[in-house]
Amino acid sequence: MNNKEKLEGIKCKKCFYLQHISHLRCLKCKNDTFDTVEAKGDCILLTYTILHAPPMEFRDKKYYILGVVQFENGMKALGQIWPKENLIIGMKLKPIYEKVCNDLDGNEVNAYVFK
Amino acid sequence: MREVAIIGVGHTKFGRLNDKSLLDLLCEASLEAIEDSNTSNTDFDSVYVASMLAETLNHMTGVASALVDRIGLLPAAADHIKNGPASGGSAIKNAFYAIASGACELVLVSGAEKMTHITLPGGVTSAVATMTHHNAERIHGASLPSFAGLLTRSYMEKYNVPKEWITSIAVKNHRNGLNNPYAHFQKEITLKKAMESPIIADPLQLYDICPISDGAAAIVMCDANIAKKYCDSPILITGVGQATDTHIIYEREDLTVLNALRICSKQAYDMAKKTPNDIDVFEAHDAFTILEAIQSEDIGFFKKGEGAKAAHEGLTEIGGKIPINPSGGLKARGHPLGATGVAQVIELVWQLRGEAGKRQVADADTGITCNFGGFGNNIVSILVERM
Ligand SMILES: [Zn+2]
Repeated sequence: MNNKEKLEGIKCKKCFYLQHISHLRCLKCKNDTFDTVEAKGDCILLTYTILHAPPMEFRDKKYYILGVVQFENGMKALGQIWPKENLIIGMKLKPIYEKVCNDLDGNEVNAYVFK
Repeated sequence: MREVAIIGVGHTKFGRLNDKSLLDLLCEASLEAIEDSNTSNTDFDSVYVASMLAETLNHMTGVASALVDRIGLLPAAADHIKNGPASGGSAIKNAFYAIASGACELVLVSGAEKMTHITLPGGVTSAVATMTHHNAERIHGASLPSFAGLLTRSYMEKYNVPKEWITSIAVKNHRNGLNNPYAHFQKEITLKKAMESPIIADPLQLYDICPISDGAAAIVMCDANIAKKYCDSPILITGVGQATDTHIIYEREDLTVLNALRICSKQAYDMAKKTPNDIDVFEAHDAFTILEAIQSEDIGFFKKGEGAKAAHEGLTEIGGKIPINPSGGLKARGHPLGATGVAQVIELVWQLRGEAGKRQVADADTGITCNFGGFGNNIVSILVERM
């Protein structure tokens, strides 16, 4: 799991491919040693959607915005986009760790959102 | 490898089928396929059942074992294939290799889903969303419609495509579905009405998205050497391919490229010694209109970024350059998950036999499918030809 204070990815020690922390072996070369890389600074919005038909965990929301962002070091992430208006592909956003929903057992789920 | 033939098909009506269980649907389609293949008094070697959500939505496990018992096919081997919305294609692929290898001679593939009884808002969406990556996608509220929304926006921005071109695919598929008696929806829609329909995953609207359906589809396959014993017009499966792509959709270098489809369709074309130019009809997996557009590119019919334009210009109509989804596709035929990959192949069988009625593609000799699992992370392609 992600450290709460940081948004992290991993970089393959052999081919330097940057990828999500869940990979046990490199997506590109099968190597299993990585360096942890921290997302730094602002990110830009690559694409987004305004979802009006949420899954059950998010049923208390009428709609929410999901987007894919990319940081200066190339790291990408998917998350909720909190500005609701004037969204433009390429706009700058900041990651912030927030509560996003309660799961179906009622537990609070926290994740990065982009403001 | 031995050649493999399809000698019979069975297809229930797709739609809201309140009085039938998942097992009822599997039995109905299977018995129809057995009758169609004149194998009512023959022993089967193996049965593959495709269904994605039997446990979750129907509280049922051991579906394949139950089916062979109920329709009198004991002691045939029976397996339940679960590969998301590509379960049907996966089951056909497994049956193909069972016969091609020489291990089996006569095999039944039956796919079904029973979904419309789930009335809880977001219930089916949540069940399907369990396919997404837990930490990277699901906890943020991602669902399959949200991925289609992200993809549609990327595609429109990258290739400067108006939304109307993408939505014209739904209008075409509804027009084709009008002539498919098994379709969930047999009614035409106008582009104006589709463009005014409620936003679901902006920019995707209600009419860009396939329905939730009940239904089943089954085929009987055998060693092609004995096919004529059962059937006058066997259809050969000459190409099969399957490939995977990243679980997390943003880990793909280009969101608008379906690399798994490029790979699995090349496998199918190479196995059959065919190219996209040889194909007369394509059954695409249009769970969302955008998917038909990009599948028509990555399977080799149009250049990247030109699939939606081609649909808008009528090139994918019956009678066009490459007819896509004469069945009505997932949009109009409906999408009972496990049944879809089998129903796609059945439409091609009807087209190649010349039995497709008012939606017949003239002189159809060769067809291909794209059965799309996850959100493009597991895709199966089946290529069929007249014997
Ligand atoms: Zn590597």
